[in-house]
Amino acid sequence: MQYGMIIDLERCVGCHACTIACKAEWEVPVEFGRNWVYRMGPAMVENEMASTYYPGLCNHCNDPVCVPECPADTVDMTFTDAKSGKTETIEVAATWKDPFDGTVQIDKSRCIGCGACADACPYNARYINPDQLDDVSEDGKADKCTYCKPRVEAGSDPACVQTCITGARIFGDLDDPDSEVSKYVKKGAKGIEPEGGELGPNSRYFGKKKDMALLFNSQKPELADLNQVRRRAMLASMVKPAMKTIKNIGLLGVVGVMVAKHAGDKEIKE
Amino acid sequence: MAFNLTRRKFLQSASLAAVALPLSKAVASESGIKRSPHESKGSLKEETVVGGICEMCFWRCQLVGKKRDDRLVKIEGNPKSVDNGSSICARGNAGIKLLYDPDRLKYPLKNVGERGNPKWKRISWKEALDECGGKLKAVQDKYGSQSISVFPHGSTAKYPMHFFERTVGTPNVSEASFFQCRGIRDTAYLATIGKAPGEKVDMPNAKVIFLLGGHFGENVHVSHVKSYIKGLQNGAKLVVVDPRYSASAAKSDIWVQIKPGTDTAFLLAIMNYLIKNKKHAEDFIDEYGDGFEEFAAGIKEWTLEKAAKECDVPVAQIKEVADLLAANAPSVSIHPGRHVSWYGNDFQRQRSLACLTGVLGAYYVKGGWVPAIGPKVGKTSWEHKEHEEEHNLNLNSDEELIYPYTPPGTPTELIRDAALTGKPYPIKGCVIWGQNPIQTIPGQEKMKKVLKQMDFVMCVDVMPTDVTMWADILLPEVSYLERYDYIKTGTQWDFAEEHQQYISARMPLAAPMFERKDQVYITNEIAIRMGYEKDIPVKSVEEMVDKNLKVAGLSLAQLKKEEGIHIREGKNPYNIPEDFEVVFYNEDLEDDGFPGVPTYIPVEQPPAGFARLLYGRVPVHTFNRTQNNVWLNKAMPSNPVWLNDELAGKMGLADGDEVGFINQEGVKSRTTTIVKTTPGIRKDSVYMGHGYGSANPLMSVGVNAGVDDTSLITKITVDPETGAHGMRNNFVKFIKDGKVIDIPSAA
Repeated sequence: MQYGMIIDLERCVGCHACTIACKAEWEVPVEFGRNWVYRMGPAMVENEMASTYYPGLCNHCNDPVCVPECPADTVDMTFTDAKSGKTETIEVAATWKDPFDGTVQIDKSRCIGCGACADACPYNARYINPDQLDDVSEDGKADKCTYCKPRVEAGSDPACVQTCITGARIFGDLDDPDSEVSKYVKKGAKGIEPEGGELGPNSRYFGKKKDMALLFNSQKPELADLNQVRRRAMLASMVKPAMKTIKNIGLLGVVGVMVAKHAGDKEIKE
Repeated sequence: MAFNLTRRKFLQSASLAAVALPLSKAVASESGIKRSPHESKGSLKEETVVGGICEMCFWRCQLVGKKRDDRLVKIEGNPKSVDNGSSICARGNAGIKLLYDPDRLKYPLKNVGERGNPKWKRISWKEALDECGGKLKAVQDKYGSQSISVFPHGSTAKYPMHFFERTVGTPNVSEASFFQCRGIRDTAYLATIGKAPGEKVDMPNAKVIFLLGGHFGENVHVSHVKSYIKGLQNGAKLVVVDPRYSASAAKSDIWVQIKPGTDTAFLLAIMNYLIKNKKHAEDFIDEYGDGFEEFAAGIKEWTLEKAAKECDVPVAQIKEVADLLAANAPSVSIHPGRHVSWYGNDFQRQRSLACLTGVLGAYYVKGGWVPAIGPKVGKTSWEHKEHEEEHNLNLNSDEELIYPYTPPGTPTELIRDAALTGKPYPIKGCVIWGQNPIQTIPGQEKMKKVLKQMDFVMCVDVMPTDVTMWADILLPEVSYLERYDYIKTGTQWDFAEEHQQYISARMPLAAPMFERKDQVYITNEIAIRMGYEKDIPVKSVEEMVDKNLKVAGLSLAQLKKEEGIHIREGKNPYNIPEDFEVVFYNEDLEDDGFPGVPTYIPVEQPPAGFARLLYGRVPVHTFNRTQNNVWLNKAMPSNPVWLNDELAGKMGLADGDEVGFINQEGVKSRTTTIVKTTPGIRKDSVYMGHGYGSANPLMSVGVNAGVDDTSLITKITVDPETGAHGMRNNFVKFIKDGKVIDIPSAA
């Protein structure tokens, strides 16, 4: 099973219901977000005017860049498949890709709040939540979209899917050929890959040709310089004071284009 | 009050999530992972409370609340709703941050400073009500009941509005939703089909959806957007007429980038073309039309060429739109619009829309204009008392109506002019309930002068909006999450689905905090002090709601058992009433001295160096009401000004540049916003979202964020038939780094 999300841009009206519902559901601090909506355009796309939206969230990638960067001490973790009862034990740091449902999760009790995972993510999908402090981290805990795992496990929809006023967000199992999300993939729904990356994003977009072109031409995330990320992570796990200074520089994120002072209404000129 | 530590500064350094971190115990999940206390629990397993009805805007979706430790942590759509279902929009979701907004009004306040520069002293409810009742009675005794003006807005304002209008006897009520918004639409359609149209087009079942200025997606009414998207998903073609590439233009098949102010010419040319080419709905018009020959003769000058020139759009495009409508008639949704107070020539444009619908035969048919048949409930309120007529400001010296087609109430300008001149009589009392005239009505400085000269001003609100700075007494009201009052009725939004009617009543999802009170309490207490105790119709809001529900055979207790919503079988709406009539040529209008046939009246053009200031909605705000909401403010912290990218290049402006404005009367904006350069707007216009830039420091999140567009709307235009405003007749230049930058002409 690999959970995935489809954003249907023909239905999306850029209303921001999804970002606010997520904030409310998961107590995300005001200045951060587990998901986002940027407006693209109006801009010319091959002699046609287009304007669309980039409702973004964690891609729960097939081959996530963030997971291997976590410097926390590893443990053996046993995962259980909710359906079959099968188990699998894997050595993980404080973040991992679930072997059964494909979602990427974080263990808050072991996260040291260094921000390496956040820096590694080309989509800026992770942030450090400064409200979550304990004896393992005085700086906060990594936080991000979980594909609403506790809600889904209880038989409900992700909060963003439930509140979407036009049904533009579709959630389900990409490995099930009869699921709605699989049908969208067959129709051509695709995720945003970073330049030179093969992460396999599982949050995918579908829409009119010109809208897809506008979105994909505007959103060109870059892979992080992992040497930089790893140096930071190493220092973080060794020297706390040093980590503080470096973190202030690092947490602005490597993908500078995505981070805006006036977040929420982001346009890229063609 | 902490003067230096604004909430926004605070937010930058640390999070101020009003909801405390859950003290969850570590729980083993199915995957065997021990949950950290830092896991946010999510709301799914929390207590659900039913019966909420939203009032973040006026579409009023049906809600449930999720509560944790007696605190509302999330608002969701009521899954039983056949209107919005489990969805609610950004503002609906953000209601939590209104409910618990630390800047919200909490106690009765007395202004011991001056109007406009207040100093607030907290007083008791008794003292506040004594002063309100006493001062209003003094105004009434000295100048007459008509000297009291009322500026209401929202569901709570109905009860006090009726008190002042019906019982006290003042006609001087200025509802923003009429005189600065939809009033022109309602009366123009009344003059054509005898009914106000609402937004009742059957979009899910239409073959063409025609939007004149409508920009769904930037404005959001949940089930209306659902209806629109369903229509598009069902294959409807979308025509959008707008000077700007709006959210709806982005989904359109045809985008008519029309010159502002010329829409009526466009509509007349389409109708003329259809009639000339025998593409109009002849049978429908024979049966239901009135005055069609005079109408056809009256619009025959409007060739495609003439309109193309006036509207600055290609001839071929006007023809394309006309042909598309005709080919798909009558299953075409000609949207009547909602906020139509644009240029002061709006009544004629709205008449044209109503006539176009008739020319296409698109009334009461699948995909056309079809009013739903909804359930009826009671309307308990103050009784109408007999009052003398002579105090109507809307009469000239010959005792004729100045504006014969006004919506209910009295045109705002007539009230303001009487207040400033004292003629024909003074306006010395002012009751502002849920409205913010300062950021709503053109001519801000005029509004301030009007308030200054009052003997007494009282405001009732939930937030310290700009106008509250002008109150003598400021009263804190319960929010929609803390009260009863509104009864929402309706039907399913897609007429292709099973016909259902619903009745729901707003119920509190949280208990009122601090000393906030409801409108029935406040109004009744003032009524007692003004000597109207025996006229009081209900003792509490619940009593009023139960009385109104009784008409439909229901009660609050019953609704509580039905998850807040009662659903019953509905009725097929696709039936033309026998007495239905489309009055194409309206003789009464002509007798009143106005065009009987819809007529194009040109508007003033921007002077050299200026562009027309256009405004509209953003999906995370409702007018200026929500600008202090932290979640919504974070989503769209300011209102970027849309500037044509070619012009921007010539002006040396780039995306993200901070600019202010100066208008044609030399009025400057107090704050700045950022530039958004785009090919998606005409060169003769600039556009920004309305409702930003509050001047009240007590709105610590919203104050000075973005630009207050209303402050630049200083030239006052009034539609001649209705007395309602037209607000897009002001022009601006940019100011950057203190320098005024001309806008190069569109030529």
